[in-house]
Formats: sequence, C-alpha cells, structure tokens
Amino acid sequence: MKPLTGFNLVRPRTLQGALTLMATLEKTQPIAGGTDLIPLYREVQCEKTNLIDLSLINELNGITESLNCIVIGSTTTHTQILSNNLVAKHVSALHDSCSVLGSVQIRNRGTIGGNICNASPAADTAPPLLVHNAEVNISNQNNNRWIPLEELFKGPKLTVLQPDELLLKIKIPIDSDSASAFKRLGRRKGFTLSIVNAAAFVKREEGLIQNIRLSIGSVAPTPLRIKKVEEEFLGIEMSKRVLDEIGQACSDQVKPIDDIRGTAEYRRDMSNILIKRALNEAWRRTGGIIE
Amino acid sequence: MIFELNGKNVSFEAIPSLTLLDLLRNEFGLTSVKKGCDQGECGACTVLLDGMPVNSCLILSPQVEGKRVTTIDGLSENPLMIELRDAFMENGAVQCGFCTPGMLLSSYSLLRDNRNPTEEEVKMAIEGNICRCTGYVKIIEAVLDAAVRIGPD
Repeated sequence: MKPLTGFNLVRPRTLQGALTLMATLEKTQPIAGGTDLIPLYREVQCEKTNLIDLSLINELNGITESLNCIVIGSTTTHTQILSNNLVAKHVSALHDSCSVLGSVQIRNRGTIGGNICNASPAADTAPPLLVHNAEVNISNQNNNRWIPLEELFKGPKLTVLQPDELLLKIKIPIDSDSASAFKRLGRRKGFTLSIVNAAAFVKREEGLIQNIRLSIGSVAPTPLRIKKVEEEFLGIEMSKRVLDEIGQACSDQVKPIDDIRGTAEYRRDMSNILIKRALNEAWRRTGGIIE
Repeated sequence: MIFELNGKNVSFEAIPSLTLLDLLRNEFGLTSVKKGCDQGECGACTVLLDGMPVNSCLILSPQVEGKRVTTIDGLSENPLMIELRDAFMENGAVQCGFCTPGMLLSSYSLLRDNRNPTEEEVKMAIEGNICRCTGYVKIIEAVLDAAVRIGPD
C-alpha cells in the first residue's frame, strides 16, 4: 500500500483561526472525519495541500434548535445525527439516511458537512436535506452568507465554495405537520455507495397532497430536486395510480449515466421505484394510507 | 503528543502522514490491529476511539492527541470481552482470524450499549467488518450467544 503523501495537517482550535488559515495558506482543504479524503490521498499524487482539520472547533459541532429551525454544525457526525431526537421527529428522511450511510465506523467519523461538501452526486444526506429546504451557512474571514443547499452543488465533486470559505452549519426549517422519508439502493444493504437514492417530503390534508417535495440522487451531475413533478401534483388527491404517475414523471426528469455501479437505464427505472417507496413511506408517516 | 492507549498515557511523535493504524502496529507493536484495505472498507483495523468503533486507517496520528484508544489487547481482562471471545471460539466464529479483532471490537461496542440485540442489530453493528472467509452466520450466532451469556444486566 502506498504511503500517505502530499499534505500538511494544521489543527486550529477556533473558527477564527481556521478562517485565517483558509485565507492565508496556499492550497487549503478542510478535513473533518477524513472518511472521503484520506482514501483520496492514497490513490492520487496530490499537489502539496494544507489540510485544515476542523475537528477541534467546538462551535462547528452539535445540533441545536433555534427560531423554529434545527441547526446542525458542519462537523456533526452521522452517529450524532442518528441519536438526536429533534432530527428523528422533524427530519425523518435525514434520520433514515444517516442510519444506512456507510458503516458504524464510517458514521462515527464521517460528518454531514463533509458529506455535502464532498459533493458526490450519490451523497446520501443530500436528498433529505434538499426536500427539507435546508440552507447552508458559508463564511470566509470577512463575510458570512446563507444560501439554499440546492445552490451549493455545481457538479460532480464541485461546489460554489471559494478557496477561502468554510461551510459552518446547516439550517432545516421545522414543519410539524409534514413527514419525510429516504430510500436507497446499493449493491448491499450497508456500506456501499448508492446506485440511486431518493427522498420525499409531504404534507397531507385529508387525502390531498397539500405540499410535496421530491429529490433523487446519483442520477445527474448533482443531487436533483424534481420541481416540475412537485408542481404538477400539488393539490391532487393521492392514490395508488397517482403514486405511479409521480414515479413515472420523476424517472422522465432524471439524467443518469452508465458507471461501474449501474447503467443509466437501470438508474432511470430505479428512480421511479425509489421515489415511490420514499413517498409512500412519507405519506404513511403523516398517517395517510394510499389505496 | 500524548494519548491514552489501552488505559495508559503514551507519548508519540505525531507525523501527519502516519495513520493511527500504522502508529499502533509499527510504533506500539499492536499487531492485533490488522491492515486490510487501508481505505476504510474492510474494518480489520477497527479500534475504539473514545469508546466508539472507527477505522484506524482513516485517522491521522495527530488527530488522536488527548483521546482514548482501545484495541482488543486493552480488553483482555474485560468480562464482556471474555464472554465474547469464548462465544466466538465455541461457535466456530473464527476461521482465518484476520477479521476477528475488528469483529470483536464492533460486537463489544454493540453489547456494551445494548445487552439484548436482535439479529438485525447485530448485522448492523458488524456491517463495517468484512469477513473474507464469509463466516458471517457463525459470527452473528456467536454475538447473540454472548448476549445470552452475559444476561440482561
């Protein structure tokens, strides 16, 4: 096995310290759990990078409730999210995704900020956060801004983050009359990248779809929100037939590719299946039954 | 730099390119921590970091400063680990043995927090530990047997 090379490691204890390092050092790369990054440094000869380790910065870690929102610090691990009652109650799709992502060992180290900023089209936390209209807080030394998560992703492994910027936290609005769910398909149950993953958020008024948000991952250069289908089915009465129509309409919207994990054709078919499974589960969680 | 290794404070030279796995094997001679894939897939290098299972191949050695690292060597006298070890041996859960230290640590962590796990919970606890002899059935039986042996409390 090749030795690890190509980086320095700096471990700031404060956020201000980390932002200063991001602004002043050449070629920086934030690191938290390292579950995506360390294997990368084994595989490719990288240009000398300054790894900025965020794991000592207390204010970036943890889950709080503020102004009817759940705020998750970027270095919060999947295990921390999984054991949080607020998330289990109000953001069940995210809870679902953190329970199937990686393995116990990976969930104990991997962080939500890392999962998002790595910007894999297959990132399992992305579809749940997208259907919950999550916003992310981005900062450099001088400026701090909030943007919708949807605007963070630019392409496979690409985000809009500038070289001196850090993602500090993720904000999820609490909507107590709603429910959500996440489903994925991988080669086996645990510990593999998703071939396709999907999340659905829904609000139900009797049998009517009062609000619906859908997202599918690993079927396009970035995780997708399927807004065209959402708009089309707003206010419609839910039924088995409508569920099938939504699945079909979603699979028409995706732009998958062939790769080692699956063919484009298979992904398109599975988009239909998985979004239906997620929506069915979300609907069930609102107390509704689809007949 | 200092960290706690199997109950004792130890000092080490923190080299960023050195993983916790290589530090434990090469500097401290703890070869119970196995080097399998070296990229966080196989779980053979599992150790407990502040009590939680992690892949030591994905941790840079400076990142363990001030933390508590436990390998099976540090649990050799632990009652729960003794039961687990006996259950592994008596249920034929060890074939080549390469995955065993990692399997034991993942199972230990499960039973420490959950004395009466379901088969599904056992499977989830060891999903990050690959057994290339594919002896999973006997491993799962051994963990469930250990749970029975230690009893509900």
